[in-house]
Amino acid sequence: MTVTESDGRIARVEFSGARSELFGILTRGYLLMVPTLGIYRFWQTTWKRRFYWQNTVIDGDPLEYTGNALQLLVGFLFALAFFLPVYIAFFYLSTQAGEIALIGYGVIGVIIWFLLGYALYRARDFRLSRTLWRGIRFNQHGNAWVYALRRFLWSLAMVVTLGLIFPAMCADLWRYRTNNSWYGDRQFRWTGTWKTIAGPYYRMYAVLAVLAAGIVALVATRAGGADTDTLGPVLTIAIIGFILVAGLAWFYWRSREATRMFSEVWVGNARATVKVRARALFGQFALYLLALIGVSILLSAVAGVFMTGTLTQLAALPAEPTDEQFAALFGSSWTTIALLIGGYLIGLAAFALVGEVFLGLGYWMLVARGATISDADSLRGVRATAEDRSLVGEGLADALNVGAY
Amino acid sequence: MELTARYTDGLVADVRDVICRLEPEGTGQAIVITDLQSRDELDRWNAADVFPLHARRHELRIGVSGKPYGARLSFNGFEPARDATAALPALAVKHRQDRGKQYRLVGLATAALASVVAAYVVGVPLLAGSITDAMPPQWEEGLGQTVVAQVEQALKPEAGFEVCDTDPNSLANRAIARFAAEVVAGTGTPFKPDIQVIRTKIPNAFALPGGHSFYFSALLDKTESADEFAGVMAHELGHVVHRHGMEQLISTSATGLLIGFILGDMTGMSVAGGLGAALIDTRFSRDAEREADRFSSDAAKRMGFDARALMTLLERVDKDDGMSRAFALLSTHPLTAERKAELERLAAPDPNATPPFTPEEWQAIKSMCGAPANTPIAPVGPDKMNRNR
Repeated sequence: MTVTESDGRIARVEFSGARSELFGILTRGYLLMVPTLGIYRFWQTTWKRRFYWQNTVIDGDPLEYTGNALQLLVGFLFALAFFLPVYIAFFYLSTQAGEIALIGYGVIGVIIWFLLGYALYRARDFRLSRTLWRGIRFNQHGNAWVYALRRFLWSLAMVVTLGLIFPAMCADLWRYRTNNSWYGDRQFRWTGTWKTIAGPYYRMYAVLAVLAAGIVALVATRAGGADTDTLGPVLTIAIIGFILVAGLAWFYWRSREATRMFSEVWVGNARATVKVRARALFGQFALYLLALIGVSILLSAVAGVFMTGTLTQLAALPAEPTDEQFAALFGSSWTTIALLIGGYLIGLAAFALVGEVFLGLGYWMLVARGATISDADSLRGVRATAEDRSLVGEGLADALNVGAY
Repeated sequence: MELTARYTDGLVADVRDVICRLEPEGTGQAIVITDLQSRDELDRWNAADVFPLHARRHELRIGVSGKPYGARLSFNGFEPARDATAALPALAVKHRQDRGKQYRLVGLATAALASVVAAYVVGVPLLAGSITDAMPPQWEEGLGQTVVAQVEQALKPEAGFEVCDTDPNSLANRAIARFAAEVVAGTGTPFKPDIQVIRTKIPNAFALPGGHSFYFSALLDKTESADEFAGVMAHELGHVVHRHGMEQLISTSATGLLIGFILGDMTGMSVAGGLGAALIDTRFSRDAEREADRFSSDAAKRMGFDARALMTLLERVDKDDGMSRAFALLSTHPLTAERKAELERLAAPDPNATPPFTPEEWQAIKSMCGAPANTPIAPVGPDKMNRNR
C-alpha cells in the first residue's frame, strides 16, 4: 500500500480514552440495568458511543456522537413489531412435527439472515448520520434492502464456492458501504478490488485447508488400519493444533483486513492509511485472556465464600438433621432463586465487560492509532448538507444484537 | 475575560482557533467570537442560548440554538473549560434540565416495562386459557402424536418403552377405558382419552395434549390399591380435560417474548432468558397441578374412590426434602405436603357410589406387565416428566 499523493499534509488520528473510563461507564450501566429492568441498556450504549467517538481525535479535532438513548429505545419498539410475527411463527412451529417444523425453522432462519443485512446497513446509517466532525455531519445513502439482497446473494455464493469467493464478496460490500458514505457534501470512495484482500485470505485458507485435509487423511488411514486405540489421542492433538493455528491465522487475517481495506478509503482527495499489526492485535487478545482469567478467579472466589458459608453451616448440623434444619440452610426459596439469578447475571455482565474493555476497545484503539490521513487540508472545504431524514433508532440491529460499537 | 477556543460554524469543515469574549447585548450577553490571528469577528452567540455537549475529559464543548446544527465552540484544557463554565451560567441550567429529562425518560420507560410485566404475570394465565379454547382440538391431537413419538424415542434405549397389554379387549384394558370414559363424561372435552400402561423402569404417569396418557409399569409396581391407581389416572385426565399442555405451550411462548423484551435479545437464545422463563412458567405449571388435583378429587367424589389415595402413592415415591423446598419456585409441582393438605380439604367420597374397579379388574390391571421384574432406577415421582416439551 503506497500512498501516491505526496502533496498535502498528513494528519494523524489519536485515541485519548482510557480503559478505566470505559470500565466505569459499563459498570455503571450494568448496575443501573437492575432497577430499570434492563431499559438502561439504551443509555449505556449511548454513553459507550460517546466515549468512543469523543476520544477519537482526527487531526486535532474529536468526533462527536449526537445520537441519544430515546432514539434507540424507539427503534427497538419498532423492531418488536417485526419480531411478534416471528414469535407467533415459532409458536406454531413448536406444535408441529417432522418436515413442516424443519422447513419452517429453515425458512425463518433464512429470513432472519436476510434481514440481518438490512439491520447492519441501517445501524451503520444511524451511527454515521449521528457523527459530527468539525461541525459537519457524516451520512449514508444507498438502499438498505439492496444491501441486504447483495449480502444475501453473496452468502449463497459463499456456500456454493466453499468460501473461496470471500474476497470478492468483501470487496463488493465494502465498496457499496463506502461509496454510499458521505462527509457533508463530499462522497467517500473505496478504491480496492477483490485483490486487495485476496493474498492474506487465500494464504489463511490454504493453510487451514491443508491442515483439515491432513486430519481427515489421518482419520481415514488410522480407521482402516489395526491400531485404532491410538486414534483418539492423536486426533485430539491434531484438532487442538488446528484450533491454535486457526486462532493465529485469524489475528493475521483481521490485522491484514483492517490495514488493507481501510487504506482504500478516500474522501475526495484525502485518503486514509491504516496500519494494524497482527502481533499488536494478538497482544490485545492476550490482555483479554489475562483479564478473563482474573475475572474468573475473582468470581469463583466470591462464589467460594458463599459456598464455604453454606458448607460450614452444613458441617455444624447434627448427624441426623431434620428437614427443617436442612432447609434453613438454603433460606427461603426466593433467596435461593435470587442468588442463582443474581450470580448468573453478574457473571454474564463481567464477561461482557471484559470483552468490551479489552477486545472491543483494543481493536478500536489499534485502528485509530494506526491511521493517518493524507491531504487532510482538502477536507476543510467540505460543506454541510441539509438535515437528514429522521432515522428511527437502530431498530432491527438493536433487537438482533448486532453492531459491535 | 477572553478565552481561546476551537470554533466551527456548522456550515464548512474549516475549524478555527478563536478568542471568545462576553459583551452585553440587549438585556443579556453575547459571546463574541473573533479569529485568533486576524481578530476579525466571525460570529456572535447569545450567551443564554448555549448548551453543553458531551466531550472528553478537560474539554468543554458547547453548541447554540438558533445557529447551524454543527456550530460548536470547544474549550480545551482544564482551566479554559472551568473558566468558560463559570462565565456561562446557562450551561449549568441546561445540563440540569437535560439530566432531569433523561431521569424522567428512564423512569417512564421502566414504569411502562414494569406494567407490561405485571400485566403479563396477571394476564397470561387468563389469556392462555381463552387462547387454548380457541385452538382447534385436531391441532392439539397432532401435537400429542409428536410428543408420543419423542417420549418413545427418549425412553426406549435406556429404560424401555413397550405397551404392556396390546389387546384392547382384555379385562384390564376394558376396565381402564371404561374408567377413563366415566371420568371425562360430562366435561365436554373434545378428546377421547386413551390410556396405555407401558413397561419401563421409570416410575411415572403423565398425560399428553390430545388425550394420550401413560401409566408406567414401575409406578404400577408401587401402586398398592385401586384407589391410588384411579386417583393418579383421574389427575392425568384432568390435565387432558383442562388442556394444560396447550396452555403451557402458549404461556411458555409468551414468557419467552417478555424475557426477550427485558434482555433486549429477541432471538431468545440467552440462558438468562431461559432461567427467567422457567421461573415464570413453573408457576403456571404448579397452578395446573393444583387444578388437576381438584379435578381428580371431584372425580373421586363422583365415582366413589378415595381422593387421598393419590397422595398416599405420591408420598411413597416422592418425599419433600430441604433441597426441594429451597428450589420450590423452580419446581413444576407443588410440594407434596401442600398438595396433601389441599386434597384432604377437598376429599369426601360419596358413600353410595360404586368403586371404580372390581377386585378382579384391579388384579388384572396390576398384573398387566407381568411380575414386578424391574427395580426402579430413580425415585421419580408421578408426573415429574414434562407433559409436552
